[in-house]
Amino acid sequence: MKRRRRTEILIQDNGHLAKTFAETITAVYECREITAPQYGMTMIKMRETSKNSLFYMGEVLVTEAKVEIANRIGIGIVTGMEEELAKHLAIIDAAYKADLPEAFLWEPQLIAAEDEIRKAKTRRQAELIGTKVNFETMEI
Amino acid sequence: MGYVPVKGGTQAIDASIKRVKFERLKGQAILEIETILSTMRALVDQVMSESSLYSPQLAALAIKQAEGSMEEAVFLMRAHRSTLPRLYYSESVETDAMFVERRISASFKDIPGGQLLGATYDYTHRLLDFNLINEKKADNTQWLQSYAEELQEVKVEETVERYPKVVEYLRKEGLFEQYEMDNTEPEDITKQNLEFPASRSARLQVLTRGQTGALTSLAYASLRGYGEVHPTVGEVRVGSLPIYVKHPNEEDGSEDEEFYIGDIQVTEVESFVPVHVKNENNEEELEFEIGYGICYGQNETKTIAMSILDQCLEHLNDEFPTHDEEFVLLHIDSVESSGFISHLKLPHYVTFQSKLDSIRQVKKGVQVNES
Repeated sequence: MKRRRRTEILIQDNGHLAKTFAETITAVYECREITAPQYGMTMIKMRETSKNSLFYMGEVLVTEAKVEIANRIGIGIVTGMEEELAKHLAIIDAAYKADLPEAFLWEPQLIAAEDEIRKAKTRRQAELIGTKVNFETMEI
Repeated sequence: MGYVPVKGGTQAIDASIKRVKFERLKGQAILEIETILSTMRALVDQVMSESSLYSPQLAALAIKQAEGSMEEAVFLMRAHRSTLPRLYYSESVETDAMFVERRISASFKDIPGGQLLGATYDYTHRLLDFNLINEKKADNTQWLQSYAEELQEVKVEETVERYPKVVEYLRKEGLFEQYEMDNTEPEDITKQNLEFPASRSARLQVLTRGQTGALTSLAYASLRGYGEVHPTVGEVRVGSLPIYVKHPNEEDGSEDEEFYIGDIQVTEVESFVPVHVKNENNEEELEFEIGYGICYGQNETKTIAMSILDQCLEHLNDEFPTHDEEFVLLHIDSVESSGFISHLKLPHYVTFQSKLDSIRQVKKGVQVNES
């Protein structure tokens, strides 16, 4: 599974799967911490919809971690103050980069979690539908 | 009078800092960060927006430390921001990817996807709710349970619906000008001094981090005649946007290999502003332009005000202060304006003595002339 899709799942799943996956890797492989989880910022580049140009909206606080497993460096980045999750994401990233066999086994769990995330989102959206306005045209 | 350098006050300053701590602690109540995050949504959003740093946790901490002072909380956040490394730049965030929690249009009754009120104070009675004085956790839990049961009845769709933008619908009809994607790298006013005439990117960056009150006042002034913009709100949206960053070293720059890092909540506004333009036959025609506003969190007044000021500054005009970019952009930053005003409290003994001496000299001169 490509990085964009899997990081969406791992972060939106609130880090439960990330913890399990990372522990599977660290139990078997040597994991060298290159950058301990640190706080930093990501500048947000925004597309405005009046002239379709770009501008910097401001920064978002992120936690970043870097680890090395099987000679491959993995990076974990997540918004907020999330030391543990950032490290887990870095370990998983390194596992994918090193093509570790464990990573291939994660696919079904990731897909199942993705489905749960989708269901939670559609439920959240459905809960808002009650605030949708139904206009009635009045006879004058 | 000669110039007399003085020093001192260290002990008084130490005592004053102790005193301000005493003021925060003397009530013996502890305001938990979690309580601020759960109950002070609007305040947290405003602090994040004006400090230009999206972090609900840090904003809540700043609010606690500043005893609820907006300007102090924003100052703390900006100061903290200056200690953090900027690790990444996001990929361009496209707002049509928003997970919409609220969207309304003042221009059209029927918009594709419908008007979704979401959570808003717009239709509440502005009467103090005295029941909140003795609010009970058990009562709140019961209310939440019953609301959750009510929501169980809703029909849940299979896929997440994306709400099309009102402006896109009008552009397709040819009612608004189409613009190609402009991928020019934006200027960054945190790295370069603001220069005039300001670029569109610099202007939008200053406006989005501006003080809510300042933006609101200036936009209001424009509506009242100190400007030439009176828009109709095309769309107000509140929702969350996903943020992606590229790997710093990998050569594969494909979208699929980007990192998703999380969502941010924003308010976005497109205001429709009628403008008179000359057509090819030199006749006046009415056209619409779009004023753009966006800010962190849910802050609709600020975002509408931003869209008005964006449009004002698209049409510079010396006759109106709100169409003067130096006037607008140099006076709306919370830290700059509150900092400059409050520096007036700091010792100005020499400056003032000098002015006093001048006045004494002038008065002495007048007395000599009169005699």
